[in-house]
Amino acid sequence: MALAAEAVARNPALVARDIHKAFGSVEVLKGVSLTAQEGDVIAMLGASGSGKSTFLRCINLLEIPNSGEVLVGGELIAMTKNRRGETVPADSKQVDRIRSRLGMVFQSFNLWSHMTVLQNVIEAPIHVLKKSRAEVLEVAHATLEKVGLADRADYYPAHLSGGQQQRAAIARALAMEPDVMLFDEPTSALDPELVGEVLRVMRQLADEGRTMIVVTHEIGFAREVSSDVIFLHEGRIEVQGPPDAMFGNPDSERFRQFLASNLTT
Amino acid sequence: MFDLKGYGWMLWEGLAMTLTVGACALLLAVVMGLLGAWGKLARNPAARLAASTYTTVIRGIPELLLLLIVFYGTPTLLQKLAETMGHDIRVDFNAFTAGVMTLGFIYGAFATEVFRGAFLAVPRGQVEAAYACGMSRALAFRRVMLPQIWRFALPGLGNVWMVLIKATALVSVIQLDDLMRKSFIAMGVTKLPFDFFFVAAMMYLGITAVSMIGQQQIERWANRGVQRA
Repeated sequence: MALAAEAVARNPALVARDIHKAFGSVEVLKGVSLTAQEGDVIAMLGASGSGKSTFLRCINLLEIPNSGEVLVGGELIAMTKNRRGETVPADSKQVDRIRSRLGMVFQSFNLWSHMTVLQNVIEAPIHVLKKSRAEVLEVAHATLEKVGLADRADYYPAHLSGGQQQRAAIARALAMEPDVMLFDEPTSALDPELVGEVLRVMRQLADEGRTMIVVTHEIGFAREVSSDVIFLHEGRIEVQGPPDAMFGNPDSERFRQFLASNLTT
Repeated sequence: MFDLKGYGWMLWEGLAMTLTVGACALLLAVVMGLLGAWGKLARNPAARLAASTYTTVIRGIPELLLLLIVFYGTPTLLQKLAETMGHDIRVDFNAFTAGVMTLGFIYGAFATEVFRGAFLAVPRGQVEAAYACGMSRALAFRRVMLPQIWRFALPGLGNVWMVLIKATALVSVIQLDDLMRKSFIAMGVTKLPFDFFFVAAMMYLGITAVSMIGQQQIERWANRGVQRA
């Protein structure tokens, strides 16, 4: 029984192994790894320039890592070398397919400005996943309801507040029914009074058991919602662990300093 | 005001031809411009070379000379080519085709720069968001970039159109009956140069004025949802 159970044990939702990334001569990531089991909410903290956003962008290959491996649901993203010796994806179709399973939420929302909120949400499910319009519309309306934008479906992004735009962007990612959600500093571009509404939606997603990787400056969110906290410093993982241990009694002086400077501001 | 001695209808015919040549040439210029911009922004070095050769050559040769090369030169060239392959054919370009092709190619080079700027003006983040949803480069281009470039390209394209419509006067040298040539003929018959040229000038000015109003309307439409209410 135990053996059988082990055999059907699910692959981790997401594994990144020893990711290295340099921009020119600047080494931004010096070997960062991460494993997210299904339902994990991993908060990535670090000072700006620590490489946390770059790491997140390496996971869905918006940045191509110089070396390292990414596995999504156990499937390895195949990489190869081009003629100039640079690492590149071996199969762009595989990259597209894997990206469609990773929902990404950006710091600057990046909604498509020529489409209404509803059009933004249904675009990829229809054109990437090739689902029927009727089916997608049903999911889209339910998703907009969930993020509290049911009455803003026909608005263009420019007519929404930052918090509404970010919730629309979350709805767009959700409508793809992704296996893992990646959040790249989702509240950093927002006015302070709008941060709460976005965090509330994210907390709700965490409570539903969604797998999430969240790059953030919101210490409170990391402490209360995450299942794991990773602290990056100069392209390396300085310390990581469950939030209780990390925030209760961190064994890294740097992380202590980081917390002190971020809590006072 | 002006006594056109019953030759006014000729000017209207000429105006119709001018507008037809202009519209067809603009259409070709837009197609060439999109292709050229795509080439300039492509990763493929051959496509980039082809696109920059195109714009350099076109912009570096006088328009009148290009028109004469296309109209007189190309048929001769094609006949020579056919001869060397053992065929005896006669190639004739009609003036309309030659005019549209020349103007379309010339202003396609200018439209290339307009579209190149427009593509670069689409926020990079929106393209990344498309990739992040699993869109291929082609799909992201079609669904996210292409619909948005018009907003950025319209002012430049309007400018191209206004210069182009005036450049159509060149086609009169290859005997195409446009507004320029018609007014010239009417002037020759009636010996009233001022009257006919002045009316023709007013007609060109009218096209430009109407175009500017039309452009404003189209820009307002293209910017819907972008400007704050």
